[in-house]
Amino acid sequence: MIRALVADDEWAARAKLQMWLAEQGDIEVVAQCVDGFDAAAAIEREKPDVAFLDIQMSGLTGLEVAAQLENSGAPLIVFVTAFNQHAVQAFELSAVDYLLKPYDKERLLRTLARIRTRTLDRAARSNAVATARAQTSSGERLLVPENGQLLLIDRDSIEWIEADDNYIHVHTAQRSYLLRRTLQDLLCQLGEQQFVRIHKSAAVNVSAIAALAPLFKGDHDVQLRSGRTLRLSRRYKNALFDLMRR
Amino acid sequence: MPVSGRPTHPVYDPGCPNGNSFPARPHKMPLMITSQTDVQTSETAIPRGRSWLPGAVLYVIWGFCCALMITVAVIDYFHDGGRHWWEPVVWEGSSMLFVTGLLIAQRCLGKRYSVYVEQPARWFGHHLKWLPLAVVLFTVLVYGTRNGIYALLGETYRHRSWDSAFTYEAIKVTLFVCPWLGVIFSFESYVHMQEQQRRVLTMQRSLAEARLAQLAVQLRPHFFFNVLNTISALMQLDVARADRLLSRLGDLLRGSLESTAQELVPLREEMRLLELYAQVMLERFADRATLQWQVDENVLTAAVPAFLLQPLLENAFKHGVERTRVRVRVEVVARREAGTLILIVRNTGSGLPEDIREGVGLRNCRERLQVIYGDAAVLTLRQGGEVVDASIHLPWREQPA
Repeated sequence: MIRALVADDEWAARAKLQMWLAEQGDIEVVAQCVDGFDAAAAIEREKPDVAFLDIQMSGLTGLEVAAQLENSGAPLIVFVTAFNQHAVQAFELSAVDYLLKPYDKERLLRTLARIRTRTLDRAARSNAVATARAQTSSGERLLVPENGQLLLIDRDSIEWIEADDNYIHVHTAQRSYLLRRTLQDLLCQLGEQQFVRIHKSAAVNVSAIAALAPLFKGDHDVQLRSGRTLRLSRRYKNALFDLMRR
Repeated sequence: MPVSGRPTHPVYDPGCPNGNSFPARPHKMPLMITSQTDVQTSETAIPRGRSWLPGAVLYVIWGFCCALMITVAVIDYFHDGGRHWWEPVVWEGSSMLFVTGLLIAQRCLGKRYSVYVEQPARWFGHHLKWLPLAVVLFTVLVYGTRNGIYALLGETYRHRSWDSAFTYEAIKVTLFVCPWLGVIFSFESYVHMQEQQRRVLTMQRSLAEARLAQLAVQLRPHFFFNVLNTISALMQLDVARADRLLSRLGDLLRGSLESTAQELVPLREEMRLLELYAQVMLERFADRATLQWQVDENVLTAAVPAFLLQPLLENAFKHGVERTRVRVRVEVVARREAGTLILIVRNTGSGLPEDIREGVGLRNCRERLQVIYGDAAVLTLRQGGEVVDASIHLPWREQPA
């Protein structure tokens, strides 16, 4: 059984897709979402195999939802759009699945055929996420779960990020958020220009650094504007210095 | 903001009305804005037809000069003790006759040099190259005529030797021709300037028209694709609804194709199209929006640019309804305050950040108002709390029945 998620802010569009997917027999619609936040939460909760994301949705657009997903754990994504030449070109270039509204059943069946043969294809997932990131300013905001809700926090308000097994702690000056992502993937989304690793399992926002104090054997103390002090391992010293010099 | 107008249309109910609260008038009589009449006034007011006038003025001035010269010559003649009054008349008269001939020749043949009116040196150069020929012709004709008249009267015309006569006449003609050419040149420049001005005005007008045509109201492709998709989905679910939406879309498309950017339509017609648009949007977002009309019955005859409010309503849906999950209320208000027609599109529940960026639709709307009404019309966009309020103030104009 393929588990599918449908997200569109128009009830008629959702109903039509739900109906055609249900007819297939091997596809189960596990969630119908009315906007971007809804879709992001449902993807986190249901872990569907495939997500049909309308691009023009309230709250977060379909592209923004995809851009916030973890690259390797993302479902297969099919973007649905009425008229977005720019995005469509990007999808074409990176072989991302998309449906142009209005689409007929035949067109949907072609997409479903591709989904059935490619359900385990990793490249297809990461292409969709990477394309969505390139199409949106996803690096500027980070979607974090909070008591069953989803919040968007500004990249600039993040001071440092700490990896902890399969989780990430995202620290702002006021508080921290817990996220299930890999550090590598998160840094890729936020942009490696602004966040840089200071040791194996931590990265810091360059603009949050107040001072660097040398320690024994080439390690440094990194003092943040908020007063907190972190340790800079000598392995990552050069990368940070290069970035700060720029 | 208090709404003074009587609400003539209660809360819009997307479910029930099959018809339209603003039915189409049987005879739609589009009222063109003033641009066409303006073109006509400008052409009569600014003087293509008046260009004969400077020429006539020239001849009148010249007539006075001739009369004055002959009078002075006659007075001088008697003062110096002359006895035949016709003698000074013949002298001056013959000179004047042939100078007038030169003048007429200049008026007729000099036209070919009009193109140089913006380059005075070339203009004068081209005229002065004919001066030697003019002097020779003039002297021969004048002295010939005088000799002839004297002979007819049985007298002899005594004059200085031919070579000194030529020198004398050459100096006289040159002294006369140069300032006179100056006068003609200023007249030609004047006519030329008027012509230029008229052309500039015409050009400005056609530019304004072109600008308006460019701003022609169009439903965005995005809108059509979305509605087509809604119809395509409804077809699978509720054929009657799909059918209704399709016919609304058809009416709307017809309305938008019929209207041009410079057309003024009665507010009744504008409201009819706006309501069609609203019905289509509500069909898509019925679960998330309500629409209220507060339109004074007595403003429905006002003249407004066609499809003026559609971009505002589109924005209300785009920023109000499509960006938030809460139920949104959209209000359309039309009322008159003294000489001003006030049109407002307002939406609640806007999750819009503080800065309201003006999109293409709003910018077009603003530019159309500027081209049609100048500074007399104002479009303002305000956000107060959850409410975004787009209002247009127009000078009141009635659409003639």
